[in-house]
Amino acid sequence: MDDTSGATPAVRAEALVKHYGSGTGAIEAVRGVDLTVEAGEVFGFLGPNGAGKSTMVRMLTTLLSITSGTATVAGADVAHEPDAVRHRIGVALQEAGLDPRQTGRELLVLQSRLFGLSAHEASARTEDLLALVELEDAADRRIKSYSGGMKRRLDLASALVHEPQVLFLDEPTTGLDPASRLTVWDEVRRINERGTTVFLTTQYLEEADQLCDRLAIIDDGVIVREGTPAQLKAELRERQGLASDPTLDEVFLDATGRTRERVAGDVREVVA
Amino acid sequence: MTQAWLLGQRALREGWRTPEALLPTLFIPLFFLVVNVGQAGKIFPAASTSFLHGQGYGAFQLPVSLLLAASFGTAALFLVEDIEGGYFDKLRAAPISRTAIVMGRLIAELARGLLIAAAVAVLGMAFGISIASGPLGFLLLVGLTALWSVVFVGFMQLIALKTRSAAATNSGGLVFFPLLFLTPNFVPRDLLTRPMEIAATLNPVTYVMEALRSVILRDLVWSEILPGFAVVAVLGALMLALNVRMIRHYD
Repeated sequence: MDDTSGATPAVRAEALVKHYGSGTGAIEAVRGVDLTVEAGEVFGFLGPNGAGKSTMVRMLTTLLSITSGTATVAGADVAHEPDAVRHRIGVALQEAGLDPRQTGRELLVLQSRLFGLSAHEASARTEDLLALVELEDAADRRIKSYSGGMKRRLDLASALVHEPQVLFLDEPTTGLDPASRLTVWDEVRRINERGTTVFLTTQYLEEADQLCDRLAIIDDGVIVREGTPAQLKAELRERQGLASDPTLDEVFLDATGRTRERVAGDVREVVA
Repeated sequence: MTQAWLLGQRALREGWRTPEALLPTLFIPLFFLVVNVGQAGKIFPAASTSFLHGQGYGAFQLPVSLLLAASFGTAALFLVEDIEGGYFDKLRAAPISRTAIVMGRLIAELARGLLIAAAVAVLGMAFGISIASGPLGFLLLVGLTALWSVVFVGFMQLIALKTRSAAATNSGGLVFFPLLFLTPNFVPRDLLTRPMEIAATLNPVTYVMEALRSVILRDLVWSEILPGFAVVAVLGALMLALNVRMIRHYD
């Protein structure tokens, strides 16, 4: 069962489909996605709002049923072995999943205990994680008094209590100020250096450029580009005969069929 | 069971740290007790009303207040907060038994129900109501009320899981009021009109109310007490099963 060593990809999706609703009113949120994320990578999953990023993450983290296709995470089948998947993943979703009435320390101890650590182990692990995300001073304050950045870091820590093989981060820096964003980036790098595969969705292309070894762009439920940032830029430069490498923003706009048009001094995004 | 207990402790902390959610569950039932006794107390004098077994009308009304106190379903509103805030997904994404997720909240509700029921009963006793069946009867009174609160919160959680909305969950709780009034809440069942008697006989809340009333007004009459416990056992098992099923299929 635990065949996660060697060449087993951290994430593999084949013809993955998700429909919401049924009949003529059904919404096709994900339409046949094939994806492979190798162990140890920081993989970026980009796309415009409503493209299917969060739906993909929710399927891969067992939170959402799969309409058709297959997915394995850390070697376990998402649909048929959800508990095995849950043991091997850490999840920090778009909405920091925290209980505002608990203290940071209580939340981490509880999360550790729920993953099977003894009271003593949970306490030690909590101290480690509080140090990792630099929240020791705020550990005994109720979470409702935390800033947005502190909540994100605590959410990140709570996703790491069991040292997961794959960490899913759904837009981890949305709504954060630049300083907090840089702190989260540092955490992600540190976590990845410790051997955890990171699957990251983001709308910030600079973030993807800074953090990701490889990335995929999803639009309207299908993958429209996949590769390293350098490969994607080079492909666009060659295809359009550009003198220098384009930015990842330009790759994104090209991939999603959007262009930027200057109208009366404002830049607006339009669908080509 | 460890996971359920851990989550139960967390839910207890949550309740303890939100005392403002607890106060109405004490105040409103006591308000109804005072109003109902004030309105109908003179119609049923203790000396000449056989179904009061020598006590005042407040003793007859106490079970109504106890059931009201146990039917606020606050835990379901905390569950909606968990859903809206993303903590519920955090739990679902962890290798936690789905039963433990439900049981954690129900354990906390049981503890809260015990506390509230004991407080309402003790306040009633302070105003002259006595528990005719003695200390064991008091424990049965508090225990049955707390178990009913677990059943009711199980029902409210179903609404919370289905609608994921605090407003809808709150409104869903109002369904209890017709059930509370389709019972022998002012007079015993045999004094109700025939249609009301039929409605009360079909209403499971009736048997819980009659069991509570029995331990207050009479010595331990098991034939009146056990149907109340049977109702909460059957409905409790049903609510647990439906809650677990709903979390398993939660998308």
